[in-house]
Amino acid sequence: MADVKEDKKQQLSGEVVQVVSFKLGSEEYGVDISQVQEIIRMVEITHVPRAPRFMEGVINLRGQLIPIIDLRTRFGMPRIDATKSTRIIVTEIGNKRVGIVVDSVSEVLNIPIENVEDAPEMIAGVGTEYIQGVGKMNERLIIMLDLTMVISGEEKQQLEQIGEQTAAV
Amino acid sequence: MSDELFNREEFISYFRDEAEELLQQIDGDLLKLEESVSAGLDPEIINSLFRALHTVKGSSGMLGFTDVQSLAHKLENLADLLRKERMPLSESSVDILFTGRDLLTGLVQAAIGEEVAPTGVDEYIRKLDQFTSIYEETSHVIEGRTGPELHFEEAAAHEEQASPSDVAAFEAEVERLLAQAQGKKPDEPSAAAPPAFAPVEPAPAPPEPFIQDLPAQPVGAVTPPIQPVTKPAPAGAPKQPNGDQKRSSIHQTIRVDIERLDALLNLVGELVINRTRISDIANTLERLMSDKVNAAGGSSQAIIAPLAKDLADSAALLARTTNEIQESIMKVRMVPIGQVFDRFPRLVRDVAKARGKEVQLVISGAETDLDKTIVDEVGEPLMHLLRNNVDHGIEPPDERERMGKPRAGTITLNAYHEGNQIIIEVADDGAGINIEKVRARGIKQGLISADDRLSDREIVDLIFTPGFSTAEVVSDVSGRGVGMDVVKRNITRLKGVFDVESITGQGTRFTIKLPLTLAIIQALLVRVVDELYAIPLDSVIESQRVEMVDLRTVHGNEVITLRGQVVPLVRISEFFELGGERDPDKVMIVIVGLQGRQVGLVVDSFEGEQEIVIKPLSDVVGRIPGISGATILGNGSISLIIDVHSLVNEARVSGKIARVEFSGV
Repeated sequence: MADVKEDKKQQLSGEVVQVVSFKLGSEEYGVDISQVQEIIRMVEITHVPRAPRFMEGVINLRGQLIPIIDLRTRFGMPRIDATKSTRIIVTEIGNKRVGIVVDSVSEVLNIPIENVEDAPEMIAGVGTEYIQGVGKMNERLIIMLDLTMVISGEEKQQLEQIGEQTAAV
Repeated sequence: MSDELFNREEFISYFRDEAEELLQQIDGDLLKLEESVSAGLDPEIINSLFRALHTVKGSSGMLGFTDVQSLAHKLENLADLLRKERMPLSESSVDILFTGRDLLTGLVQAAIGEEVAPTGVDEYIRKLDQFTSIYEETSHVIEGRTGPELHFEEAAAHEEQASPSDVAAFEAEVERLLAQAQGKKPDEPSAAAPPAFAPVEPAPAPPEPFIQDLPAQPVGAVTPPIQPVTKPAPAGAPKQPNGDQKRSSIHQTIRVDIERLDALLNLVGELVINRTRISDIANTLERLMSDKVNAAGGSSQAIIAPLAKDLADSAALLARTTNEIQESIMKVRMVPIGQVFDRFPRLVRDVAKARGKEVQLVISGAETDLDKTIVDEVGEPLMHLLRNNVDHGIEPPDERERMGKPRAGTITLNAYHEGNQIIIEVADDGAGINIEKVRARGIKQGLISADDRLSDREIVDLIFTPGFSTAEVVSDVSGRGVGMDVVKRNITRLKGVFDVESITGQGTRFTIKLPLTLAIIQALLVRVVDELYAIPLDSVIESQRVEMVDLRTVHGNEVITLRGQVVPLVRISEFFELGGERDPDKVMIVIVGLQGRQVGLVVDSFEGEQEIVIKPLSDVVGRIPGISGATILGNGSISLIIDVHSLVNEARVSGKIARVEFSGV
């Protein structure tokens, strides 16, 4: 497991990394653009009783139901009401489409690979397993997230089993 | 074989579908053949049989399924002897063919890895050889008589020795199957195919000279091209054997009538046109916005009015088109129920033979369309019912005669549409359900007590109790007590209703009512705290407002008394832990029926009835007790659909519902 961080850094391949940057509280995060399927405005989230705890609810994405994960809740940050700038980043975890709620999405950044550093052990309460590194752009610090890691291995298993359960029925 | 060129797995799956269809057809042909034993051979039937066997032989040979190929070849020989009238048609020859057909089915399933190979094939082939050898010897002399047959024989010879032409034939067959799978009419075989394959094409009439060889027939009957007799309906999907669990791992396909696809394509065309129209309007509006100066000069009313009208037109068109698309796509999922019915004549024949009964099965309404999922599921319950009818319903021939009935019993299987439902009736003219016998049995099994005063109807309902059977002797056909309850459960699972009527001495009628599709249902929308939930209307009995003072509690759980019956309540908000506060004055209750019992679901308000499209939620968030799916409402918001059955069960298990003992069944 000692090489995990090394691996993570290697995943950020190429001369520059293209990241979609978004905000959560006062922190700025970035996610590799290849992980982002689309970014949509906040829509009404339907709460599903007894759903796995990491799921906030489901939304209707052009007729398809997709589960939603609130990144604030994940990171133990206080909940806030949705604002005009609240966005849902649609990504894929395992082979499931998942929507991730963030405070706002800023822009697409090209961060030169040499400006990306290993993550410090602890950043603002976020466990390091999500974090691929920290990118520096001028004065800004971008925390590079691996969205597929924002739910724990156990939860991921749970998510993946959902499909299997259905297939078996 | 050249596996690199073709996706062999895909080809096998086409082979499976084709073989299944052909075996079904063979079954139908054999049944007709059996009927014609006394009436004399109908050449159409034997030709259809021969062609089907030949095609099975051909395609299995190309895939290297030699077991299937050689058995099909033997059977084909037998059919050929019958066809050329070298061998007289008799019950024994038909029986041999029936057994052969079953072994062939087994071998096909073994070849595609669905079942283990059946036993006794070698022995059967030996018997078959013995049986045919007497006739074959004389037949050689006349072998070369007619053109087409010669081709068939050559084809057989070709396939038995692996030769380079095999590869070409394989390619041609792949092409044909692919074309078929894409819904096209099979083309003429490509030049690469050996001539032997021309006559094997499923639909066309056999070559002309052959017809002339047929024994004398009314002139009118000769002119129409000879069709395979039990050709499945054009929109037919590959048949799914029932209860075949392994099947679910294989990709499910559906065959769609090309006309239905064309209709859909037209509608999509409309959508595209409309899209252009709407973007035109958007462009115009944008231009107007940027040309503020100019626009301000003219009357804004004059500019906007036509645009508004255009937009309204587009919206109307969009609404119409989407409605039609919805309808069309539902139709694409619809397949004729005949796909299930097709296999029943054989089943009834076999059971009747085994039980020494004479039974005639009359099928009507086989063309009635039904959602594919339901068609796949309804076969097994129907099979149980038919077995039951033959085994318990129809009396032995002698007994029937004594009672002044015809020796042969009649079972009618009928399907028709009624409103949003399909009705399937299975009726026999047999003895009916023996009320006294059922009653005695019920008492013996401890289901009712001797002094219970039950109506006939309630007694008949006992047959739906798990483990119940009136058969004195457990036979291999029925009587093991697995049956009616399973049927009822399966039908209920499909959101259907199962009912039985019986008149002693005159017969029994089972009625199954099924929704046309599982994807669209009528639902009652209710509000709980701040979410809308949908309750399927088929389980709703009534909705009521009840004053709090009328509520009672049993062991701390709420109940109401409704027309003398105690109805336990479940508060949805508390069941789902949604928070919210209890209204101190009144409760809104939806009374739902559940296996003959009533349960009241407490909601905050009723929001009307609506037709909803079910979307599975289980592949999004997993299985959740109490919720069967979700639907998207007109405004784009999501409403969860309550699964009454699992909700009440779960509430019962967790002690959130009063345990109320019911009297009666």
